[in-house]
Amino acid sequence: MSLAIRPRASARAIALRYGPLLVAATAFTLPLFWVAVTSLKRQSEYNASPIVILPSVLQWVNYEQAVLLADFARFALNSILLSGTYAVLVVLSSALVGYGFARHRAPGRDRLFAVLLATLMVPNLVLFVPQFVLFARFGLTNTYWPWVLWGLGGSPFAIFLFRQFFASFPRELDDAAEVDGAGPLRIFFRVYLPNSGPALAATAIFMFLWVWGDYLYPTLLLSVNNTTLAVRMANAYVDPRGNPLQTVTMAGVVLYVLPLVAFFAFAQRFIVRGIVTTGIKG
Amino acid sequence: MTAATGALRHAAPRSALWRRRGVRKAATLYLLISPWLLGFALLSAIPLALALLMSFTNYDGLNLEYVRFLGFDNYARALTDADAQHALGRTLVLVVAVVPIGLVVQLSLALMLNQPIRLSALFRTIFYLPYVIPVVAGAWVWKLFTDPSGGLLNALIGIASPDVNIRWLVDYPTVVLALFTIWGATGGGMVVFLAGLQGIPAEYREAAMIDGASRVQVTRFITLPLLTPVIFFNLVIGIIAALQILVQPMLLAPGIVGLGPGTVPPSDNYLYAVHAYITIFVHQLFGYGSALLWLLFLVVVGLTFILFKTSRRWVFYGVEP
Amino acid sequence: MTPRATRRQVLIGAGALVAASAAAPILAACQASTPKTGGSGKVVVMTDPNEFSDDDRKILEDATKLKIEVVKSDLTTLYAMWAAGNPPDVFRVQAAGLPQYISRKMVKNLQPYFANSKFLKLDDLAPANNFYRSDGKTVGKGDLYGMVKDWSPDFTLFAYAKAFDDAGVKVPSDTTPLTYDELHTIAKKVDRKQGGKRVYWGFVHSNNDQWIDRTAMNMLAEKNQSLYSDDFSKLVIAGSPEALKVVRYLYDLAAEGLQQSPVDPSPNWMGADFNNGQIAILQYGYWFSAMAESDTTKGKTVMLPAPTWAGVRRDPTMTATGWVISSQTKDADAAWAVFEQYMGGKPAQDRAKSGWGVPGLKSLYAQMPQESAFQKQVQRVVQGELPKSDFVLQFNPYVGEETFSTSWKKNLEPALKGQIGFDKFVQNIESEVNAAIADGKRIIRS
Repeated sequence: MSLAIRPRASARAIALRYGPLLVAATAFTLPLFWVAVTSLKRQSEYNASPIVILPSVLQWVNYEQAVLLADFARFALNSILLSGTYAVLVVLSSALVGYGFARHRAPGRDRLFAVLLATLMVPNLVLFVPQFVLFARFGLTNTYWPWVLWGLGGSPFAIFLFRQFFASFPRELDDAAEVDGAGPLRIFFRVYLPNSGPALAATAIFMFLWVWGDYLYPTLLLSVNNTTLAVRMANAYVDPRGNPLQTVTMAGVVLYVLPLVAFFAFAQRFIVRGIVTTGIKG
Repeated sequence: MTAATGALRHAAPRSALWRRRGVRKAATLYLLISPWLLGFALLSAIPLALALLMSFTNYDGLNLEYVRFLGFDNYARALTDADAQHALGRTLVLVVAVVPIGLVVQLSLALMLNQPIRLSALFRTIFYLPYVIPVVAGAWVWKLFTDPSGGLLNALIGIASPDVNIRWLVDYPTVVLALFTIWGATGGGMVVFLAGLQGIPAEYREAAMIDGASRVQVTRFITLPLLTPVIFFNLVIGIIAALQILVQPMLLAPGIVGLGPGTVPPSDNYLYAVHAYITIFVHQLFGYGSALLWLLFLVVVGLTFILFKTSRRWVFYGVEP
Repeated sequence: MTPRATRRQVLIGAGALVAASAAAPILAACQASTPKTGGSGKVVVMTDPNEFSDDDRKILEDATKLKIEVVKSDLTTLYAMWAAGNPPDVFRVQAAGLPQYISRKMVKNLQPYFANSKFLKLDDLAPANNFYRSDGKTVGKGDLYGMVKDWSPDFTLFAYAKAFDDAGVKVPSDTTPLTYDELHTIAKKVDRKQGGKRVYWGFVHSNNDQWIDRTAMNMLAEKNQSLYSDDFSKLVIAGSPEALKVVRYLYDLAAEGLQQSPVDPSPNWMGADFNNGQIAILQYGYWFSAMAESDTTKGKTVMLPAPTWAGVRRDPTMTATGWVISSQTKDADAAWAVFEQYMGGKPAQDRAKSGWGVPGLKSLYAQMPQESAFQKQVQRVVQGELPKSDFVLQFNPYVGEETFSTSWKKNLEPALKGQIGFDKFVQNIESEVNAAIADGKRIIRS
């Protein structure tokens, strides 16, 4: 990293470097620790007073219940399908549009880009009901079509990102391709897209996670049978009398989050590099 | 940009070739951005217009039988609505509480993680995790965590000073809401900061250190100034998001975790979007609710404008390497 | 004064999309309700999956030869579906929401269907069904707009004997009803906190304040009074001594920590807390007996008759959960077929036997379970309550079901924290609810 020669780090330096980090990590982890620990408790231990911190017997059965009660695999597949479809569509569409904004001057471009930025400021709730009315009018409720349409329309956030990214590409690449006779679309596919691996991946992951965790829109637009895991989990973990089973819910949360955690732990260097290359600071 | 093109058009000879190329360029642009244009028109512009239209009526969301045009009545009412004023006040309080602290947390963590340390991947995952946990589950966790009788927080405090039984959600609801929000949002912002930090060439830092600057001085005089565009980005996004917070206070409200009608946050957490939501879905005043939300939109636009205008003072769009 | 834009002007201005949305409900409302035929063979039912299992659906599909699509019952979704002009054919309601649906012409008059029904005979209907009658002005008499799926005398009490033992108090007799004042005294004795942590709540009621207005209305009705003025145009508490007394009583329950409240909440609903043995006295209807006995409370639960406020005992249902058919259904006959089977066919008998409610048809009363000792005790009390259950609570037709309770909860929190006084608490609720009533009246005026 650094070329300068430095003395070996002193104990004080190490404490300074790791200390605050450990404190912060502990603070962040406490609620997560509570999730993990609650997921292994019996219902009676969950809300016990005086408080029971660690379960007396690890209730792995909660995880079984979490999978069974929510029909976990099926709804996880729904979530993956929905999130994946949206992520792929929105990234490709946003990249294309971002490329358009970055490289192709024409009257009205800057004004339209300002409009794009303005849409980031619209409160979601304003659009909520009218969007539902529109989707229902066209018979698109209880289907995944709204997400397909949203994906095809691009995300202002992602378009902004790609526009910044592509704007920093050297123009020589464009010119070289043009000389070879390539039109704008071919330039996009031959020059821009191949060089955007990390940016595409990073954006795709953000978009995937957005749909994966969304609760509001699937509740409104999807039916009980084809909804996402996030919604399903919020309702499924009840005992036969309708009492919520918080311990099983926590087990469900762990299962919900674990694959993402593993993936992120593996891919995060990738993600960070992806955002770096978009040159967001510019 | 358009002025320049316009000037060019007048200056250059009006050859058929040039005009064709201009048309072709425009066609290219509009074709390329057509997915967004269509999507925007259908999924944003039209719903937004409908919402604006609704805000001028007394639409109750149930049927169109009784719709009446009310002009600006809804807006006049919104400006004198004591609940809306209270809600806006609480929302601004929350923005002030959450955004600066959130930024500081995200930035500090990013700075700390940008150093060569062991297990950086583990730390990053820990801080990113709450961002990934679905908000409903997060609310369960925090409600439980802060429960006076069965919660871990009071148990830990009890180790230090027993018999202290703080009713967090009753007496300090905004504190819990702020902590929950910051906890959940850190992951996203931190990753963006990390990326920004790694975009700062190492040469700058090394040059300064060779000249004898300490790490702190490097951070203060080199890293942070170069990072201001990213800070600005996170600031704007953060404020826009904070002004619209709806789900977290509803889920933390007393009683069962859920978003059904009948859920009412305590008055300290009665935020603006909560007020709009209750107005629309409990009192069935879609028209009035839309007016409230349009006013929020104007506030957001106004604040963003101010932010951009004042950004010239402190945001440093440095030289690209 | 400038004339307001007519409806047509608004619609034209809005463009094709909105006009298209407008056409359907207006046409539907203008037509007389003649049964339509020739549908798509599919009926959309919005209900609670807990009340409508997959088995129920299959039974109904077999019996009616129709396809049934189930949507989870949710007020937000219902409003959204209505806004889109595509409401479910059949949907679940509770009595409190019905006057509003009727006044806004959202539900179908089912009287002709009942008159010709084989399963649902008019003289076999339990009195709780009167909640679904309206003559256009009052609820309780007139034509039927729906039916209860089952019901309970909702003001009965469940006592957790252990809480009483711990306090050294005798469990009240299940043959002699208490007065609300006696109940208050007993609740104070059995309520318990230990070191700042809750052991037992004394008296929890009104479904965590969601039904606080119904509780109040039932108490006031004993003296022939109401929370509202005669024409429902105003909420009157401060101006009515009896209403003020009732509100004060309910407020005190929360202030004294006997009832769960925003400053003393539980993360669970009151039923779960009772099952966990954390509530001494709970007010729920007969339906709760089907789940009252958990591992913790088994053998220690007693059902008690409903208390009285002023000596004139009333124990009607306050929810009257049931089904209605939307006025915009495209195939009313198909919707009725599903409705009829659910209310009078095998699912109705299964419901009766399950003990989750008193059946909507008197002929099914005998099917209520009576095997265990607890069930026998419960039936004894229920039989005593049935004669007192013929009443219909009057709900305000200008506002939604949650308006009063939302206002109550919203203002209770600062009141219990001492930020506003009791008088301001009452005043705030009055002004908020009256504003909502005024809004509702403005909407319906045409």
